Amino acid sequence: MLDRFPYGKAPFVLLLIAILSSFTFALTHRSGRPAELVLAVFSAQHYAAYIEVLPKFEQEHHVKVNLQRIDNQSLEARLQSAIVTNTDVPDLTEISEGTLGFFTRGPERDIGFADLTEQVRSEGLDHRVVESRFAPWTSRGHVYALPHDVHPVMLAYRRDLVEQLGIDVSKLETWDEFVAMGQKITRDLDGDGNIDRFALELPRNGQWGLQTLLRQRGIDLFDAQGEAAFNCPLGVDTVVWYLKQTRGPQRIAYDPANAQANGQAFVQALRDGMFLFLLAPDWRTFQLQTDAPRMSGRMALMPLPAWERGGRRTSTWGMTGLTLSKTSQHPELAWELAKFLYYNPPDLGQRFLASNIITPLKEAWGLPEFQIPNEYWSGQKLGAEYARLASDVPPIFSSPVYKSGMSKLDQAVTRAGLYYEEHGEQGLREKVAEELQRAAAYLKVWSDRYAVLQQSVAANESEP
Amino acid sequence: MQGVVDLQSPAEAVEPEEARRRPAAPPRRFYKGKAPYVFLVPYLLLTSVFFIYPFLRAVTLAFYQTNGPRSKVFVGFENFTFLFHDARFHSALGNTVTYTLCSIFLQLPLALALAMLLNSGTSKLEVRLKGFFRLILFSPNLVGPIFVGVMFGVLLTPRYGLLNRTLHALVGWGLEQRWVDDPQLVMPALVLVSLWLYVGFNMVYFLAALQSVDKELEQAARMDGANAWQVFWHVTLPAIRHVVVFVVILSTVGSFNLFELPLALLNSTNGFGPDDSGLTVITYLNEVAYRQGDLGLGSAVGWIVAILIMVFSFVQFRVARVAENE
Repeated sequence: MLDRFPYGKAPFVLLLIAILSSFTFALTHRSGRPAELVLAVFSAQHYAAYIEVLPKFEQEHHVKVNLQRIDNQSLEARLQSAIVTNTDVPDLTEISEGTLGFFTRGPERDIGFADLTEQVRSEGLDHRVVESRFAPWTSRGHVYALPHDVHPVMLAYRRDLVEQLGIDVSKLETWDEFVAMGQKITRDLDGDGNIDRFALELPRNGQWGLQTLLRQRGIDLFDAQGEAAFNCPLGVDTVVWYLKQTRGPQRIAYDPANAQANGQAFVQALRDGMFLFLLAPDWRTFQLQTDAPRMSGRMALMPLPAWERGGRRTSTWGMTGLTLSKTSQHPELAWELAKFLYYNPPDLGQRFLASNIITPLKEAWGLPEFQIPNEYWSGQKLGAEYARLASDVPPIFSSPVYKSGMSKLDQAVTRAGLYYEEHGEQGLREKVAEELQRAAAYLKVWSDRYAVLQQSVAANESEP
Repeated sequence: MQGVVDLQSPAEAVEPEEARRRPAAPPRRFYKGKAPYVFLVPYLLLTSVFFIYPFLRAVTLAFYQTNGPRSKVFVGFENFTFLFHDARFHSALGNTVTYTLCSIFLQLPLALALAMLLNSGTSKLEVRLKGFFRLILFSPNLVGPIFVGVMFGVLLTPRYGLLNRTLHALVGWGLEQRWVDDPQLVMPALVLVSLWLYVGFNMVYFLAALQSVDKELEQAARMDGANAWQVFWHVTLPAIRHVVVFVVILSTVGSFNLFELPLALLNSTNGFGPDDSGLTVITYLNEVAYRQGDLGLGSAVGWIVAILIMVFSFVQFRVARVAENE
């Protein structure tokens, strides 16, 4: 038979494999009910939590929900491609910090997400949810995503080492007090010329560390009008302060590796006591529990020191929002699913225990699960601690150039940092101001490009 | 007239006569049957869809500012003007050229040296070892730049990375060296990693070329009193010059397309490195076209890169041609 096949043996074998695999697929593929709603998420924690509760929703609404987990960068790239090319997108998609601006940067007709402003108002969510959390998901006055979280930031610390050193954390009310303490304990313990114990963990080139501290002072990358906001005197002060803590002879902060929020080097440094304190939003406490289980009972949390006495004791780091596709075939069902997953109080207690992430729905903070002591964190009531700070979380505003803003701010810090290492404090403030101004000017150029595009498209459309 | 005929070479003189005797070439015309065209259809279709259309689209897109395919505005040469004034693009171009020069002047000589080393032994054991080392040196290429980037990210970790620990143990320096956090060390780190990754790949080309060099020529040169360097410079290198030109061009094109390695190694800064010290033109293209969503500007970057590669390759060809003539 092989010899009689006119195109040779290899094509025959390939044809045979193709036929066999097609049959195998057809026989083994379970058709089942077609998925009516598609939900895409990037977080493993979210996936695990949703997969538990979805059967209940499916039963109640007689619908099949196809839950997909995709890596954050891939999800973002695929969603961007799908929306700009007008192809199928999931009915509901979770997106991360700084992402919305990409989707809303063009003319309004190009925005692939449903405008949720009216639904949010009619359900009273604008009052039931921490108000500041709608800001990052709002563009040109329209809400395009529902906030999943608040992510207040506390200061986590190695309780065992801090107690050994006789540090009274209740006296660390301001960053000045913290720095004074930090300079006392930052030491080269083995005399090899390398410092082996720092007070704090912060990335040298800014990144999430600087952004979190800027936010604590009410400054983010952009203001409500979409203008760069970090190049103000307070922003300059904060960057100068940051550089002194992360570089130079008086530094008290250590950067474990490549500015990754978590990872092997970070965990090892934490275990070695390379740093005693670290910025900890609620989600990071759970990551610490899973990545550094040996630290159980040796860690504790305290509010962030304030920039001035009586000032804000928290900030925010990271966020997730749930978007609904404008082209969904089942917009009402998608909205019901969104509410079910995000704002259904009976489920939110368990959700907190599975992730340590507190919901932005204020009425859920009284749930008993928020009062349970957490052994890893030396018996502290994690939910209650974070909920106490949640209302004070500063707002963050979206921009089409938000991600560029993050890298330009880091670039400014790096350049100013090199200057500081070379010249010391002399002229540092001016250098920081110059670099921040340069970064802001660069972002303005890009913002203007988008503005020109929006205006031109609008003008073309209005022509007869 | 007679004098004119005398000036012709014998071959030229007989050519008209031969040409008269040769049957006239049939006039060019299309084949009448359908079969060849039917067989060509899949190829033409695929080429049209995946090469010609994107190519033409990229030409036109470079003159538009876009927000996906639905919204675009004609901006003329504005995208090119923007790039000529954009400090980030200049950084990307500078970094790419630096990396390319390092590839050509560090990586290729090293690859050639390794190839010569592997080509030198003749005993049974040496031949066996050659195969082993060829595999060892080529193997980094099998795993690809993403894996290598991630792996070196771990190796270069301050305080806990293998390289830093080894340096500290051996010379008492380097424990806290921040290879990918310090703008001045990012390019050396990239070059170091790419050396490890690509040196074996280029070595294989050189090794294949060296094995085809006439041994008798080298032997004759040695008998005439040439030392090792003279044999290499006057005999071996001219014999493998075509492969050298090919590898240099391949390396230049590859260096200009550098993308995955910095993306993986400098992951915490989206592949840019601190102060854009690891930003390459393709990373920049990816940033503006996909992360910023401006396909028009991305196309303009693509064209500039393509033109630069063409110019570099043309110069290399010319230099090689001149060297060959001399």
